[in-house]
Amino acid sequence: MTLDVLPGEVLGLLGPNGSGKTTLLRMLTGYLTPTSGRLLVAGHDTVREAMEARRRIGYVPEAVPLYSNMRVREFLTFMARLRGVSAGRLRRALEDVSERVAVTDVMDARIGTLSRGYRQRVALAQALVHGPDVVVLDEPTNGLDPRQIIETRNLIRKLGGDCTFIISSHILGEMEKVAHRVAILLRGELLAICRMAETPDLEALFLSLT
Amino acid sequence: MRTLGVLLRKELNATFTSPIAYTVGGVFLLVIGYTFSLTLFFTKVANLTYIFHQMYVLLVLLVPVLTMRTFAEERKTDTLELLLTAPVREIAIVLAKFFATLTLVLALLAVSSVYAVILGHYGQPDWGPIYGGYLALVLLAFLLIAVGMFASALTENQVVAAALSLGAFLMLWFADSASYLLPAPLDLVFVNLSLIGHFTTFVSGSLFLSDAGYYLTVALLGLFLTTRVIADR
Repeated sequence: MTLDVLPGEVLGLLGPNGSGKTTLLRMLTGYLTPTSGRLLVAGHDTVREAMEARRRIGYVPEAVPLYSNMRVREFLTFMARLRGVSAGRLRRALEDVSERVAVTDVMDARIGTLSRGYRQRVALAQALVHGPDVVVLDEPTNGLDPRQIIETRNLIRKLGGDCTFIISSHILGEMEKVAHRVAILLRGELLAICRMAETPDLEALFLSLT
Repeated sequence: MRTLGVLLRKELNATFTSPIAYTVGGVFLLVIGYTFSLTLFFTKVANLTYIFHQMYVLLVLLVPVLTMRTFAEERKTDTLELLLTAPVREIAIVLAKFFATLTLVLALLAVSSVYAVILGHYGQPDWGPIYGGYLALVLLAFLLIAVGMFASALTENQVVAAALSLGAFLMLWFADSASYLLPAPLDLVFVNLSLIGHFTTFVSGSLFLSDAGYYLTVALLGLFLTTRVIADR
């Protein structure tokens, strides 16, 4: 497949389970190495310039992995330092990101004691804390209750524009609400890319293609 | 180097806030204290040879408990994916975990050195074997931690990791037994693979580069293989 994502755009990857969404995102973030082809993040090859590419990415895997024993501040500090935020910029970066994703009230709580919604926000905060060009979210609303789903969507809408979002989901409604463009995948192949503003019936299009 | 420091701080926090570290440390010091007191009262000889062998056995048994969580836990909780998609090299992740566990073992060895101080205060021990013994224990810790981490990198189950590393340590310990059945020069290979064979020379006060080389080579091999396993995904 060939796919370009524009700066500030929210791109949705839509497809049934097993269509290759997570594999594509894992290759983009450097977790998996592509056997052929190449991926560029802000102009940097994810294999040959892996460190440069990774510095420009923020990533929340589907499982929302977090260190349960750490406090939120400690975890965000660790991830920020790991992603290259200097000691001088750290405090400001933590303040900014905790306000943007609304976790200021739990900064000193242990992650293991947080609700699923807060955990999702902390995961989003670690993906944003270093000011990435591209944020990759794999199934960001999985396991959330309806209110948390709405909050997460609103958060993505609010943050979209500052950086590029690439979001995977197998839920049609999800994409209609947050994405500017949607790429439809099936069995590892890109079937179509549609602009949401020009696609009145995504459901009909998805059914006709898959 | 900077990311290694960040990772090391995180690993040291995880190691020293874990109940496993304090349980293992408590067991180690209790058994060593008990053995030291008994040996000293029975023999009234100012040497630590017996204690060093005791510490050798304890490290073989306890290091798997310390290393089992290093990678298995990160795999189980998927946090390894966070680390491996951050701009850090796999070797930095491996070294941070290695040095954090090594720090704990060195701290235990440092506390145990109080027995050498006691001997020095009340008697006139031969310091050569004592220095040699501690050097051997440090080198042994290098090897055990590196191999234990390799076992942990192979699985997401901590108990499986502990069993694998304990099995590897015991096989290395008794490797020289197979030499009686093997023809030359194959028997020498197994004699030289023995964990205890290289340890005993140190504790007797003899320092050979080949013995130190054995521990360092196996430790480096363990770290290399761990890095390969982590990088191969």
